[in-house]
Amino acid sequence: MSEQQTATTSLPRPDQSPWQVRDSRKTRNLVLASVLPAIVSAAIALGMNIDATIAMLLIFVPLQLVSAGFVGYRIFGRKGIADASLVIFTIFFSALVGVLLFSVLFSVITEGAKAISPQFFLQNNVYITSTTSLEYGGVGHAVLGTFIIVGLTTLVTVPLGIALAVYLTETPSKARGAVRTLVQAMSGLPSVVAGLFVYAALISTGFTKYAGWLGSLALIPLMLPTITRVAEEALRLVPVELRNGALALGAPSYRAFFQVTLPAAKSGIITAVLLGIARIIGETAPLLLTVNYANNTVLNPLESMAALPTYIYQNLDSANDTSLQRAWGAALVVLIFVGIIFTAARLATRPKTAKQKVDKNV
Amino acid sequence: MSSVSESSKPVPAKRKLAAKPHLVQDKVFFGVARAAAVGAVGIVGLILAYLLFMSWETLAKQGFNFIFGSQWTAADPENMIFQIGPMLWGSLLIAFNGVILAVPMAIAAAYFIEFLATSRIAKIATTVVDLLAAIPSIVIGLWGVGVFTPVAAHWAELLNQNLGFLPLFKNEAGSFVGSPFIAGWIVAVMIVPIITSVTREIFSQLDRDVINAATALGASRSSTFMKVILPTSSGGIVGGVLLGLGRALGETVAIFFVLNLSFEINWVDVIEGRGGSIASMIVAFFGAATPEEVKALIAAGLVLFVITLLINWLAAVIVAKAQPWRK
Repeated sequence: MSEQQTATTSLPRPDQSPWQVRDSRKTRNLVLASVLPAIVSAAIALGMNIDATIAMLLIFVPLQLVSAGFVGYRIFGRKGIADASLVIFTIFFSALVGVLLFSVLFSVITEGAKAISPQFFLQNNVYITSTTSLEYGGVGHAVLGTFIIVGLTTLVTVPLGIALAVYLTETPSKARGAVRTLVQAMSGLPSVVAGLFVYAALISTGFTKYAGWLGSLALIPLMLPTITRVAEEALRLVPVELRNGALALGAPSYRAFFQVTLPAAKSGIITAVLLGIARIIGETAPLLLTVNYANNTVLNPLESMAALPTYIYQNLDSANDTSLQRAWGAALVVLIFVGIIFTAARLATRPKTAKQKVDKNV
Repeated sequence: MSSVSESSKPVPAKRKLAAKPHLVQDKVFFGVARAAAVGAVGIVGLILAYLLFMSWETLAKQGFNFIFGSQWTAADPENMIFQIGPMLWGSLLIAFNGVILAVPMAIAAAYFIEFLATSRIAKIATTVVDLLAAIPSIVIGLWGVGVFTPVAAHWAELLNQNLGFLPLFKNEAGSFVGSPFIAGWIVAVMIVPIITSVTREIFSQLDRDVINAATALGASRSSTFMKVILPTSSGGIVGGVLLGLGRALGETVAIFFVLNLSFEINWVDVIEGRGGSIASMIVAFFGAATPEEVKALIAAGLVLFVITLLINWLAAVIVAKAQPWRK
């Protein structure tokens, strides 16, 4: 940018022009300020054998602050010191978030990969004790159980959530604000309380024993707020003119909704369903209280079933090296499912390529 | 006004243009929507009413000591004492610990995404934060047990060695594992994405003209942040923090694995290896519980539910106020 400017003008520029932020000396200062503290603090920490955490917090961060503040002062004057501190703190804390996430993903992938093998997906947990070798046993039963439990919940919650979103967007009711606030408050329902409710109402009273459908029941109030919120936003994005156009052409409200509004909001609704599934697929506490475990493959939701989160819990609880390996493997399977759901949601919200082509031709 | 004869005519009432559904199908359509709304209100009401009904006996028998006392004995059937003081305080301590750790990270990440990063990096960072939100709590718990506990215990040891004179970082037990400090970090990892996404949305909806005006008046990056961005978005940030607090209070299995549950109240010794959490206590105790104990656990769940309900309601109101474009 600056070179272009100097190339097109014949007048000599003043030495310090306020709009010319970048010049080579400042760039050099900036690079030095961002590299030197790291080198110096690494040298001090290694040379004096100081703990890495202390070196990071007490040597690197202050040094970085001082050097960035100095450069900020050279470029912008006194204001530059505050600016530099703001940038340094922002980057430090953002990097902390990144490191934590990276650590979670990295450990799940590397540890989980050790347990993953074809039979890990195909076999169940019968005859498997906490010391059985990893060559035997797997999460096949838990994957099927999770599919059934989450599928049942989805079957009930998706129509309910979409109907609720319709109530919040299409009807002129006065109670909408209150209902919306209540649904949002419901998203804070602790998952263990949802499980405890079902346990207290149906299991401890002796109505039934532990069963898969009870788990689905406990997951409904956890999934409903997510679906409702996302579906409501999707319906709200449909222009009012479309609806009014349909109504003006004589369509009754229900046809205007099903033939105009719903197709227009289709991708948003799909996203709502996917995010709802992602929300509940890893819920553990409600399933512990309502479904319990099963080691064999159970496909009947009227009995105790296995599920991926409870499988992880079970193996983590027995705290043996092999069972811990199994837990990591199951965690990787859960993350793979979550990743697939997220990618699908991204693809659903992306505008269709065919449409873009048409737009370009026009 | 112009003519007297016209004004003597009665003014017709303002016409209201409201179409009432007259088709049967429309009535069914709106009826289903209304039924869903009633159903959602019903679910919350039913849960609350049933929990209250089930826990009434315990609450009546134990009185206020249920919340403030710190004894839990179900062995003697004549004199069962159920008191959740340490668990309730532990839940609050861990949640506050998590929020204090998470707020700087979340605001920094949101500021980084919205104002510092180039659009491509911002897009990647947003995806990363969304992904972090989708990691199930049991996986975070597994990571907490297998990877993070040794690291955080080391940090706690350093705090104790260097800042041990502060009452906050006292540790007489000698063990740094299973402390509220570690549980707080675990909770922070889980609520950072919640606070970040609310804050980021608030930041992204800020009026860019106001920020540009501040820059044009000579404001620097930091003074724009302190004097323009933070004051206009503080309501939304507080709402996001409350949402995170609600989530932190209800966190169950991850805390169950990293925390050492103890019925001795741990006021502020965050790096000592004993603490409490209502949600974890429910998971830990319900398996071997007698019917009376189950009722006491339900009462504990009710207390937790009421607290999170209040916090989330407050958060929803604040966020709605701070995001008028969501109307």
